[in-house]
Amino acid sequence: MTTIIEQTIKVRVTRYRPEQDDKPWDQEFEVPFNQDSSVLEVLGYIKDNLEPSLSYRWSCRMAICGSCGFMVNGEPKLGCKTFIRDYVKAGEVHIASLNNFPIERDLVADISGFVEKLETIKPYIIREEEKPLEDGEYLQTPEQLEKFKQFSQCINCGLCYAACPQFGRNPEFLGPAALALAFRYNQDGRDEGNHERMPFLNSEEGVWSCTFVGYCSEVCPKNVDPAAAINQGKLASNIDYGLNLVGLAGGKK
Amino acid sequence: MNRKPYIQKQSATWWVKNPFYRFYMLREATSVPVLLYGLFLLWGLYCLSQGEAAFTLWLEKAGSPVSSFFHVIVLASALLHAYTWFQLTPKIMVLRFGKFRIPDLWVMIAHYLAFVLVSAIIIGLTLSQLAG
Repeated sequence: MTTIIEQTIKVRVTRYRPEQDDKPWDQEFEVPFNQDSSVLEVLGYIKDNLEPSLSYRWSCRMAICGSCGFMVNGEPKLGCKTFIRDYVKAGEVHIASLNNFPIERDLVADISGFVEKLETIKPYIIREEEKPLEDGEYLQTPEQLEKFKQFSQCINCGLCYAACPQFGRNPEFLGPAALALAFRYNQDGRDEGNHERMPFLNSEEGVWSCTFVGYCSEVCPKNVDPAAAINQGKLASNIDYGLNLVGLAGGKK
Repeated sequence: MNRKPYIQKQSATWWVKNPFYRFYMLREATSVPVLLYGLFLLWGLYCLSQGEAAFTLWLEKAGSPVSSFFHVIVLASALLHAYTWFQLTPKIMVLRFGKFRIPDLWVMIAHYLAFVLVSAIIIGLTLSQLAG
């Protein structure tokens, strides 16, 4: 008969209870884990067995809903896609609310500002003139799709905002995901709304607040590469500026 | 509902703990030696305008050990900056010819080739001036 030796690891969770606390504080737990325990599962263990008052956000457990973004040992990560086994060497797992966002409670970041930014940049297909329904859908070729497909894979988890020091400095900065989304629609062959989005890209809070730190692309769980989209957006913004000078683009708004 | 979200402020040391941020700060810091070198050259130009004696004095200073050390730092900064820039260029230069997208590596190699070519021309011109 073999004995299963249960491994445990120290998990430090940064708590914040708005009713009692003025600032976040750390609570430590000793938590069992195995080869395939994720950070999210460990949080589940803590909530079920050790600290029922712990709040955190999660849903799909498979890196598609984008709900379980946390800082794990200082790096923005999806809880469901991050495994305890990778932290055994570190000896401790520190889980905290995403950087740069207000903390609503415990590990729940208030991402409402981020969601508003996504809406700001008009993330939908804009036509100068809508085709009548009976004329069918707007078609695109695989080559046209290739131009923006990568930038459309975003799951709005907010890890890139937690990674972005420029957003940390200035919460008004539209930020990686929103700018990548704007770029994605500008690149879409079916879309004619470029001139409506360029004022957002061109503005101080748009692409020019980015200094190409590049950490957003590093932490993105879906390989969207927002840094590439933003910096290609700078090129588009320059061209737009030039065209505006000679009165050829949609004009400033 | 009484909300009381805790606002996280960015600390002055936000970049210290993360190696990715540290390298970013180093990349940005390379601009400082390059700026100083620009000022150093402008100073030389000013000395040149003040006559031979002033310029000779500047040349002497330029050949001092301190200056040599400064030049090594400037060269290292410029090279590091060029390297990081060339790493990033493929992300911005997306070149498509129909279905074909020029691979990132080609964009990078083209930059290095241009860099080597221009450097060789400048070094060649300098050496031929020294020889002549």
